[in-house]
Amino acid sequence: MKKTRPVNSVSRVTELIFHIILIAFCLICVVPFIFVIIISFTSQQSIREIGYSFIPNEWSLEAYKYAFKMGQLLWRSYFNSFFITVVGTICTLIVTIMYSYALFRKDFKFRKFFTFFCFFTMIFGGGLAPTYVVCKTVLGLSNSYAAVIVPMLLNPFNLIVMRTFFQSSVPMELVDAAAIDGSGEYSTLFRIIVPVSKPGIATVGLLTALAYWNEWFIPKLYVSGDVKHMPLQYLLMEMQEKVDFLIKNSSLIGAEASSIAKSLPQNSLRMALVVLIVVPIAFAYPFFQRYIIAGLTIGSVKG
Amino acid sequence: MKKKLIASLLTAAMVLSMTACGNSGGDAAETQSTASTTPQTSDSGTDTASTSASDLEPVTLKMYLCGNDVTDDSKVMEELNKLLKEKINVTLEPIWETWGYGQEVVLSLQGGEPIDIYFTCSWTENEYNKFARDGYYVRLDDPNNNLIEKYASELWETLPEVLTQTGAAINGADGFGVYAVPGYKDIATQNCWDINVPLLEKYGYTLDDIRNTDYYGFGEILQTVKDGEGADFYPLLIEGAVLERMATNSIIVTGDSGTGNFMSYYLDPNDVSKETSYGIKLLNKYATDEFAKFAAQTREYYLKGFIDPACSNKDQANEMRTASQNLGSYLIGTQSYALGYELQASQERGFEVAMIPCTEPYVDTTSAQGAMMAISTASKNPERAMMFLNLLNTDPEVMTLMNYGVEGVHYNLTDDGCVEFTEERNNFKPWTNGVGNVTILPPTVEQGVGFWDTYKDYYGNAKEIPILGFAYDGSGVEAEMGSVANVVEEYLLPLCTGAVDPEEKLPEFLEKLEQNGVNTVLDDANAQLESFMKYKGN
Repeated sequence: MKKTRPVNSVSRVTELIFHIILIAFCLICVVPFIFVIIISFTSQQSIREIGYSFIPNEWSLEAYKYAFKMGQLLWRSYFNSFFITVVGTICTLIVTIMYSYALFRKDFKFRKFFTFFCFFTMIFGGGLAPTYVVCKTVLGLSNSYAAVIVPMLLNPFNLIVMRTFFQSSVPMELVDAAAIDGSGEYSTLFRIIVPVSKPGIATVGLLTALAYWNEWFIPKLYVSGDVKHMPLQYLLMEMQEKVDFLIKNSSLIGAEASSIAKSLPQNSLRMALVVLIVVPIAFAYPFFQRYIIAGLTIGSVKG
Repeated sequence: MKKKLIASLLTAAMVLSMTACGNSGGDAAETQSTASTTPQTSDSGTDTASTSASDLEPVTLKMYLCGNDVTDDSKVMEELNKLLKEKINVTLEPIWETWGYGQEVVLSLQGGEPIDIYFTCSWTENEYNKFARDGYYVRLDDPNNNLIEKYASELWETLPEVLTQTGAAINGADGFGVYAVPGYKDIATQNCWDINVPLLEKYGYTLDDIRNTDYYGFGEILQTVKDGEGADFYPLLIEGAVLERMATNSIIVTGDSGTGNFMSYYLDPNDVSKETSYGIKLLNKYATDEFAKFAAQTREYYLKGFIDPACSNKDQANEMRTASQNLGSYLIGTQSYALGYELQASQERGFEVAMIPCTEPYVDTTSAQGAMMAISTASKNPERAMMFLNLLNTDPEVMTLMNYGVEGVHYNLTDDGCVEFTEERNNFKPWTNGVGNVTILPPTVEQGVGFWDTYKDYYGNAKEIPILGFAYDGSGVEAEMGSVANVVEEYLLPLCTGAVDPEEKLPEFLEKLEQNGVNTVLDDANAQLESFMKYKGN
């Protein structure tokens, strides 16, 4: 019996080459992370002797034991990261959907102005210092969860993705039909448009969640020195900064440096924290995946 | 057509945003100039230097501190604020920054945020000299409104003259004066040879053998120990840059580019307060005979296997050094010294460690300006901030609370008045030297009774070097500074640890330095030094 090959298949050789390229690409992505995991399970002694290695001399759980013993600081920042990501993503989605829906409606009178208003910030940023002053002095954002969430609330790029999604997959007739049936504007948006736009919302949601989870610079600016609101990424970044600080200034601050060095977490601990940071957000992918696959066709030709 | 337009627009956007990134330095400079004009100090400060707290308006002071490890300050602040309320009617809100004391502080200053007191010093991003020059800090001894005379005369009498007269006085925005309260900490620099005593004695040498020679005479001792301990043992455990300063008696010039110093000022090892034959002049460190001699000697030691190759790798050097110290696998190390460090080191490492000094302790700008507290020009209550700083640095109760926490919670006092820390201390660990006058603290159990007297004796009497107070302002030659720093970064560590051959690399290095404008920078620096010395003379 002869196997029938699909019409749009490519030759075996091409397929093989593509596979090799893709496998190589996957390895480039995955291997560093596996390396991080291995280092996090390596004993400090082994790192000192042979440096980072895929096959350490000695395995150890020390780093994780130490991390869990950090107690309050670790759990608090872990919780903060979750809290900021969840609340931030929900708030961002609400704001983004509402803004982009308004831009999608052709009958909105100030559509052009508000599109420009949003585009403009993509091209010309305000710069760091003015942004800081507005956030901290004018809006009073400091040492609270709002200080981490509000500065990232609206991203023009997400807004455009969302608007394009509406334009390409939500027919205007749907809005008209809802209006004829007596649906108000909010009802149309949340009961008609949002349910049919899940793929687009999931895409933006994932991008946003990642951005919130990985952000460390905004916390550094607005909640620095405040352990109550510090996310995990910032905690890790701070450890790294301490290491850099030592390398840079050890000859200037003299004997003090050795006492700082003692308070430093070991390499394996830092890697353990990286693992702790990456694992939860990695679980977010499968959750969003089925929508994202559906969302891949955004903008493709509709029959 | 429309698509093309959009595409070109987006490309333009990308390019623009990139250039915007590149320009952020310029942006900051612009905002700086506007910011510095807006927050003007209220010159009409209350002239009544009254002392009773009830006459004073209640105010809240905010304060940035550096290098802390504080997760819970609630108990401390409760006690402290009770005390402050009573004494000067002030509520304090400290911001316990860690060692990552950087951009957020600069932004806060530039943004004119109403924070009253900032930690500043010679090595953080809100560097004392630069920010004083740009008008972010209040001049404390302003002849029109002399805050020190009015509110902090007590503090000024407590601090050693070397700090108040010369160390802190600089040329700032409002003339030559004091722009921050210097912390009384380990204000003198002294580089020492860190000696592994048991190992030294094992081979029949004594500490006098080290004392009586110098870097260039270590060869024989090192060889004996190396032969005895085997090929994997490296007797000389060094930090390249420190070793260079120890062997040649040069110092760090404040304002020189961070990691890779290239300016040098040479000390007379017999009397640090005297000029050497070079006079009061900054030199290109790598072009001097001292450096050539040092590099050749180090290379010789390296080739003989006295120096671990890991010393020349800046990512490994620190960790390797700590590890070798703890294992005792070295004979002679380099150490920038602080009083009592040999005891601490002996305890940590579990064997006797001795510190043999290269020169007497000297006060230079970097160490004198090593930890300071400045009052921001954006502060609404500079007088009260000054009162607070005075209290903090003169009242042992306030200082101890702020530094060690609450008695019975963070520490207990032993019968002879020493501090013994409890578990709770782990949640409240400010950087002791960063808070202020540490000499009014009670001694810890490890330090022992009488420690602070010895401390004041040692540091309070340290001699000042002739150019104390000078800090170079490289803002006029930023481009040259940057490229010279890059060249130095490339060559410094390998040369100072002997990893490369100086005969081949040193001339190459010097040529590159000259190509990148090292002489322009030095001329600029020497002109500044000259005018500084004139100010200082008056």
